[in-house]
Amino acid sequence: MARRVVIIGVATHWGTELARRLERDPQVEYIAGIDDREPTADLERTEFLHADIRNPVLARLLPVTEADTVVHCGILWYPAPGKPARALHDINVIGTLQLLAACERTPTLERIVVRGSAAIYGCEPAAPLFHTEELAGKAPLRTRFQRDVAELESYFDNFAKRHPQIRCAMLRFQPEIAPGLDVPLTRYLRLPIVPTQLGFDPRLQLLHAEDATGALLAAVRANVRGPVNVAPTGALSLSRILRSAARPSIPVPHPLFEPALGRLGVELGAGPLVADAVRLLRYGRGIDNRRLIEDVGYRPRYDAAAAVADFFTKSDSRRILPSADLGGLVRRLAGVLR
Amino acid sequence: MSAAASGPPSAAAVADFLREMRAGIEAGLDPLAAARSAVPRLPARLRNAVEALARRWRGEYREDKWGFDEDFAEAAFPLFEFLYEVWWRVDAVGVRNVPAHGRALLVANHAGSIFPFDASMMTMALMKEHPLPRWPRFMVLDWAFALPFVSSFMRRVGGVPASPQNALALLAEDELVMVFPEGVKGTRKPFSERYRLQRFGRGGFVEVALRTGSPIVPVAVVGSEEIYPKIGELDVAARLTGAPFVPVTPTFPWLGLLGLIPLPSKWRIEFCPPIDLSEHGPEAAQDRGLVFDISERVRETIQERLYANLIARGAPFI
Repeated sequence: MARRVVIIGVATHWGTELARRLERDPQVEYIAGIDDREPTADLERTEFLHADIRNPVLARLLPVTEADTVVHCGILWYPAPGKPARALHDINVIGTLQLLAACERTPTLERIVVRGSAAIYGCEPAAPLFHTEELAGKAPLRTRFQRDVAELESYFDNFAKRHPQIRCAMLRFQPEIAPGLDVPLTRYLRLPIVPTQLGFDPRLQLLHAEDATGALLAAVRANVRGPVNVAPTGALSLSRILRSAARPSIPVPHPLFEPALGRLGVELGAGPLVADAVRLLRYGRGIDNRRLIEDVGYRPRYDAAAAVADFFTKSDSRRILPSADLGGLVRRLAGVLR
Repeated sequence: MSAAASGPPSAAAVADFLREMRAGIEAGLDPLAAARSAVPRLPARLRNAVEALARRWRGEYREDKWGFDEDFAEAAFPLFEFLYEVWWRVDAVGVRNVPAHGRALLVANHAGSIFPFDASMMTMALMKEHPLPRWPRFMVLDWAFALPFVSSFMRRVGGVPASPQNALALLAEDELVMVFPEGVKGTRKPFSERYRLQRFGRGGFVEVALRTGSPIVPVAVVGSEEIYPKIGELDVAARLTGAPFVPVTPTFPWLGLLGLIPLPSKWRIEFCPPIDLSEHGPEAAQDRGLVFDISERVRETIQERLYANLIARGAPFI
């Protein structure tokens, strides 16, 4: 069956990557990308439609494409050029509402896939170490971004209930890293000295960007409904991530971490997500990816440790301390002794 | 090469190492290179320790997805071994009742107002006395995970926040899980109520055992009630810190940090024969009546064994 796919937020890293992969798929007959700026990368057969997701014009544009699949990659985690922090709520929540209204007027539509966030689970000290999908909404919503994600998920849920003929999938992504990816979290990990919170060692699941695209693509092809966690298998503590990358860290007492990161955040471009990052880097968060593997049929190629290893081996990061290879040295010397 | 012989690191060996290093520096090497050239002077045991430290420094250590760090737990072992052998002189009875393979839920009484040591002493009993030792995981009061240092320490030695989801997931992976259904009610009870079991929550641990088909091993811990005899509480301090409660003992907070030293009571830990629940099946977890029956049965077993072991132990501090 020929497919007609529309990607909202095609200029984002995720939208562009997905379009590129779909272009190679002969089953996909038509691809359109909607965004308010053109994607920086060259796309061969993706038709670019210029529209702002917050604008009601979307409701006239979408039915014309006769799309059977809509992929929403337009949920922003971090402020982008031309999209300051105070606009994020409008883009994420109002934009999603506009999109759902447009979807309602598109009779050809069969499925919607949303690139959401695992932030809905929050970062609570006493949270389950691996959240399953039904545990969303149990944690108090502490940050702006969390509230936005919870709000747009509730609209999406309602939409899915009112339109049982449309398969609606909400993918909840853990934060992503990859050698070529430039987001506040990767900038943080590339700092010459990484500030951490004294006495806290969060468990993190950092998703390789390749797996993020892979999961999105698999969800477009699979018959899946409802929320799906997207995370690598396993989890890694921040201290081990930094040690295995020979990255010096400086522990900062946790009440001082937020102001310190706030100053740094301006430079990192993290903006208001500092609040999310502070909690993530204090308590960590783990989610269970069994549904992704079993129902979507996508097994992440990088587990938690491999994703981090790939990130650090391929990023050209400045080192200010020589890496301690005492162990290797001792082994060599022990060999000499024998 | 006399220093290549294995054995405990001696002062002579370290002096040898330093002499060699000085010779290196005098020969024109920089200090780091001199230290490197002198490493063979160290005896094998010290060399292994240095190597282990370097491995850790490079992040090459085992840490499972739950955050349990076996090397760290092993490093903390001697301290807890001292508490087990010398300080509390623990007698462990029936360790073989704990299954050597597969999932099992260990259910014990909970005590020790400032810091409950019962989980660590049960772990020591299993690691030291069981023919096939393995590291158990234990459920820890949520509040501990909001604290710096305590949170990362607990996680590294096998603690997880107390929640049914965590217990279910750990048992599904055939781990040994320790739970303390009394929770804060157990650690908070005053000294006058020692060894009187509190309510066992809502029987959530039974639901977890039924849903995963895990046997329940009741455990009676005697001695933990005397380590910090609670005679009162500081309400204001609890409200300020967000702690569930702040205990007052004969030594805490009067002696400051010294007051945190637990009293050297005599301990006895009995592991009772496992209760097999496999006849019921996972659907039985919905059956409130059955859950309460089993919960009560476990509670009565522990209470009865507590009294029996109190008599067997004799005087609390000798």
